[in-house]
Amino acid sequence: MTDDMLVPLDQYLASGIHIGTQQKTKDMDKYIYRVRQDGLYVLDIKTTDQRLRSVANFLANYDPTRILVVSTRVYGHKPVKTFAQYINCRSVAGRFIPGMLTNPNNNDFLEPDLLIITDPRADYQALKEASNIGIPIIALCDSENMLSNVDISVPTNNKGRKALSLIYYLLARELLRKKGTIPEDGDIDFGFEEFKQP
Amino acid sequence: MECTSCKRQITPKEKMVKFPCPECGEDIIRCEKCRVLANNYKCPKCSFEGP
Repeated sequence: MTDDMLVPLDQYLASGIHIGTQQKTKDMDKYIYRVRQDGLYVLDIKTTDQRLRSVANFLANYDPTRILVVSTRVYGHKPVKTFAQYINCRSVAGRFIPGMLTNPNNNDFLEPDLLIITDPRADYQALKEASNIGIPIIALCDSENMLSNVDISVPTNNKGRKALSLIYYLLARELLRKKGTIPEDGDIDFGFEEFKQP
Repeated sequence: MECTSCKRQITPKEKMVKFPCPECGEDIIRCEKCRVLANNYKCPKCSFEGP
């Protein structure tokens, strides 16, 4: 099972990408593996791994300069900026100013073809505006998130520092592999530590 | 155009989204209602299920 994963299972577990929350929604029910004794829902790592591959495949269809990555969460700022730097896409780390996607008079007006958000609840404004302009939305979803307006979800812990850095690192690596920038079994010249919020 | 989830015809004035399937590249179309309600869709070609 570990052989066909993007990184060894131990690294996934050490980063805590499988740790959910104590709440769950019906939308995320299918991605939940089990419930721990302390009430935390555990996400299925295998599904996360498969989804990361699918999303990388999907991103390869788009022009990177027309992709927008958003993170209002503080732990997502560095991962998002580093991801954008290596993929050469646009990023918004911090407050998403209302009208960024819908108001042409806004100084920060952007017209992306695809939106990636770190948390559908925290990045609600971006989600709402992207659904208004009709572009596909990819979201990193925890066990407590609703999938309303989300087109492709990646079930993962979207609150942890290590979890977010690993997810964005893997996404960047897979996308560069798909595009042929690095070899199929190659790695990028920086580790996932580079993605970690200090 | 037909919504992949509910198979309903989408009129040109309605909001919708169209994107290639992450696995096979086949077009997936979702109407506004199915997006808001997070209705599941299944790629007709490769059976990829989302969201």
